[in-house]
Amino acid sequence: MIEAFRLGALGRDGTLWDGVDLSFGDGEVWLVSGPPSCGKSVLLRILRGDRRPDAGDVVVGGESLFRGARDAVASFRASAGMVPESFPSGAFAAPRPGMARTVRDLFRLSALVAGPIAATERQRREEELLALVGLSAPDSEAGTRPCGDAHAWELSSLSLSERARVALAVELLRNPKYLFADMLVANAGKDWTDKLGALFRALAREGRTIVLAERAVPDRWQVARTGDPAASGPFSFYRLGVPAPEPKRSDLEWRPDDAGGKEGA
Amino acid sequence: MSVPSSWWIDWKLSPGALTRETAGRLVLFLLLGLFFLALVLSGGGNRFLSGQWTITAVLRFSVPEAEGRGIAAKVSGLAVVGSAVYKSPEEAWKEFTAAYPGLDSLRAAGGNPLPGYVEIRLRPDRLSEKAVASVDAALRPLPQVEEVLTGGKWAPRILRVKRWVNAVFWAGFGLLGAAFVAIFIVQEKVRTLLHAADFAFLTERGVSSRGMALRRAAAASLCGAGLALVSIGAAAGTCFLLDARYSFFRTVVGPPLEIMAPDAIVLLVVFLIAAALLSGAASLIGWRAALSSRR
Repeated sequence: MIEAFRLGALGRDGTLWDGVDLSFGDGEVWLVSGPPSCGKSVLLRILRGDRRPDAGDVVVGGESLFRGARDAVASFRASAGMVPESFPSGAFAAPRPGMARTVRDLFRLSALVAGPIAATERQRREEELLALVGLSAPDSEAGTRPCGDAHAWELSSLSLSERARVALAVELLRNPKYLFADMLVANAGKDWTDKLGALFRALAREGRTIVLAERAVPDRWQVARTGDPAASGPFSFYRLGVPAPEPKRSDLEWRPDDAGGKEGA
Repeated sequence: MSVPSSWWIDWKLSPGALTRETAGRLVLFLLLGLFFLALVLSGGGNRFLSGQWTITAVLRFSVPEAEGRGIAAKVSGLAVVGSAVYKSPEEAWKEFTAAYPGLDSLRAAGGNPLPGYVEIRLRPDRLSEKAVASVDAALRPLPQVEEVLTGGKWAPRILRVKRWVNAVFWAGFGLLGAAFVAIFIVQEKVRTLLHAADFAFLTERGVSSRGMALRRAAAASLCGAGLALVSIGAAAGTCFLLDARYSFFRTVVGPPLEIMAPDAIVLLVVFLIAAALLSGAASLIGWRAALSSRR
């Protein structure tokens, strides 16, 4: 469970927001929305331990993230995945001319954090995850790159939607208990809104906590606004309904006939 | 959680680039290893000088051959002496006539005019004024010894030059080593900068930055020790080859088998440890430099 008490953050021009209370339980999907530049990304970074709040504290599993043990942030980060709004960045995708990074490199990096995974097991999981986010070779955007192994695709050649989905798959490789995603649904594109909603619900049913930051709530998502508006700052907190039944893996797997069309970059 | 799989973190991030870099380092280590081994075997100018410079104990005419050999054997037992060879008056005459042909008539007058002598060479690693003085002091009181020739006033000058030559050789080795360490630091810095985004990715996901730096340094140390070991092995092989092909190698550098001498082994172990420590230090310095330049 992630809880925050009287959180506050300062921006360049003064207080961004202050007095934010929240409580995200295990196995729940939460959506944080708010107007542009209101500090959603900052909130996500604070909740994940990337940035110290200017006021208040974050408590995860009963332990303070910023006022507790020294390694509390590092151990929490190790169990949490993060899909930033713009990732992989240009510098990451091609650190120098002629050295373009591929999807495989990104998975390799994530596997370093994940700990020892057998190569065959890793390969199987990578393929499963790429298929899950619609990035197996036959389903890719036509004409943008040679067909073949999606692992070999260069990050710099991916569309915004593909980058967002690759970033998600890369994080899921590590089986994070918590997943933070900044503008993932918006970046993935309309065609992926429902599929991602289903995926998040399935992940939540496995006990994971998902926190999404979006400008607006996707139209077809069944969400319930919760929380005290007085303690929500500029944000609106929505909880995505997670049905009780046990998930079937086949529900999560993406099939070519699910796609209504190609999503734009 | 992340320690076991990220030990060889740079290798996992870019195996191709690291292989090329390691191959380059191996070449540098080979040069350094050969230089070091040659210095260890030769002691700089010691080997050459000790081969050229002899202390001569001229014996009296009355000293029989057996006694002369006995003196040579006793002198050989001195710690500073590498070899002591007795030359009989006949052998001395042969050497004389070989050096000065046409003087055979000197003998016709009244027999062999030359006495026997003991030719003494000092050990290369003990070549010093003190060692020369100790041999001189051991021989001069003997009633069988007519005179001890140690080089006279030239000896201190030659030994001073030898010390300078040795200092120049070791300074050259030190400079070469320092240059290579500087190259390693640049390599480490460039590689760290190249992978800065990767390291940031890992840090953001709970991998300790300090731990990463230390693990990379440990890996660099292991790599440095391994490369140094390979380079010493290759250098030793090269020494054996050169010794078999060129006779002057033994005179100038020394017999390669002396690598197995305890003193040489201690120096080689020091070389390996220094290579490991400096490689690790280069990794840490490169890491810090890369972080500083990004700030």
